[in-house]
Amino acid sequence: MIQFINVGKRYSDGHEALKNVSFELARGEMAFLTGHSGAGKSTLLKLIMLMERASKGQITVGNQNLARIPPRQVPYYRRHAGVVFQDHKLLFDRTIFDNVAIAMEVAGTPPKEIAKRVRAALDKVGLLSKEKLTPIQLSGGEQQRVGIARAVVNKPPILLADEPTGNLDPELSAEIMKLFSDFNQVGVTVLIATHDLELISRLPYRVIELDHGHIRNEEAFVNG
Amino acid sequence: MAKSNSQGAQVSASKPMLGSYFGNHKKALSHTLNEQKKKPLASILTCAVIGIAILLPTLLGVFLSNLERSQLSFDNTTQMTVMLSKTLSPIKGATFAQELTKIEGIESAKFIHQDDALEEFKATFELESTLEHLSDNPLPHSIIVTLSESANTIEQAQKLRTSLLGKPEIDLVQLDLMWVQRLNSITNFLSLSTWILGLMLSIAVILILGNTIRLAIENRKDEIAVLKLVGGTDAFVCRPFLYLGIFYGIGGGIFSIILCSVVLAILAQPIEALTASYQSDFSLSGLNIETTLFILLVGTFLGWCAAKISVKQHISAIEPS
Repeated sequence: MIQFINVGKRYSDGHEALKNVSFELARGEMAFLTGHSGAGKSTLLKLIMLMERASKGQITVGNQNLARIPPRQVPYYRRHAGVVFQDHKLLFDRTIFDNVAIAMEVAGTPPKEIAKRVRAALDKVGLLSKEKLTPIQLSGGEQQRVGIARAVVNKPPILLADEPTGNLDPELSAEIMKLFSDFNQVGVTVLIATHDLELISRLPYRVIELDHGHIRNEEAFVNG
Repeated sequence: MAKSNSQGAQVSASKPMLGSYFGNHKKALSHTLNEQKKKPLASILTCAVIGIAILLPTLLGVFLSNLERSQLSFDNTTQMTVMLSKTLSPIKGATFAQELTKIEGIESAKFIHQDDALEEFKATFELESTLEHLSDNPLPHSIIVTLSESANTIEQAQKLRTSLLGKPEIDLVQLDLMWVQRLNSITNFLSLSTWILGLMLSIAVILILGNTIRLAIENRKDEIAVLKLVGGTDAFVCRPFLYLGIFYGIGGGIFSIILCSVVLAILAQPIEALTASYQSDFSLSGLNIETTLFILLVGTFLGWCAAKISVKQHISAIEPS
């Protein structure tokens, strides 16, 4: 589903965030991306979201070479990949419902369909009763779940997350991870960047470790 | 979510259906209007600024169309008054008038007896008592010459005047159209000034609105970044701002129409008093439907232009990070 072949990313200031990175994530797989801060986790996710372009190498997502997607087509591409951030990136002047709905509005989905799907997504993350509140009225964990609902409302085949549990206590973090595995259970390919090694050690998923832009160590945890 | 596996597994850059196009616009428009409701004072002030900027050329335009209308009421054919020599008898004068019609460029010539002229003079200026003290009529016989269409320019009229002055029967030739011609030049000048002023103020409106919209974009930077992140196209992201520009433009237009009506209402009385002192029954006519629609259209266009320019410059610079 996601394939990196000898991918390098050098920023305009000369900083080389990724060096010769190759890996493949199969369709329906779930994996963690770890590494020290500055190791290139966020850059790798940004490359998949086309928020940045690779300096060298080839990235293929769902049989599509990302280098061949022109800027005009990027929005349409992004609709097929949900993304969750540590800082949630919610709109504080809109209700929870509207925050989730925008992901479908941009695609021009009819309002009836939007209402149905948004409520289904909010129900999944356990926030259906709070759809009329604004993000400021929610706890950090709840805000993160709104972010997740927004990422999945379009039923994307790929779900990415950048430090989704960064600000949460272990119990809430475990709940969030449970949500991600639930989505993975129904076939979504999931890639989560995190440095919460303690948490992921308890989960049966593959870990891709980045170290100064290189992939250092890959190990697959066996379900247990 | 169970369907996502089979349905959503294919990642592609497909475009949405056209059916949702109007829905998108409706949503963007209602969002813009709701935003404006939240800060009515700021919106009204912006509209007022635009309104005043549009008002100035509008007022000039209204005055101008009034001036042009008043010119239309003058007979557009040029006339000259030919004062005959005092020694010429009325019969000879009448014959002379007949002869004048044979000259090229003269359409007709009407002889006026000095007594008739005096009567008209008395009637017009109510000087009966004063004029009674005069022992004889100071006015000469005269001929009113109407120029034919082909000779109806100021140069031709001047030429004809010079040639007529050469005749011994003629003392004086008065070209009556001079001041209408002058008025015409003034109107032309004002008309050009109005267009230049209008152009300048249009640019000012675009700059003001462009800046206002730039600030609106700045205020919603986070929102724009999020919209782009979840797959909003530039067109989708820009749409509310284009509507914002059009909203300000129409608001400014409405403001200027109201202000213009108020100003005209205030000025109507003094202008009528002024024109009455020139024996004119001129009355100031206000905005007609065409002008009103034109102002709204111009406002809409300027707002859209400003938004388009601003959006083109600033939206593409905002990328999710």
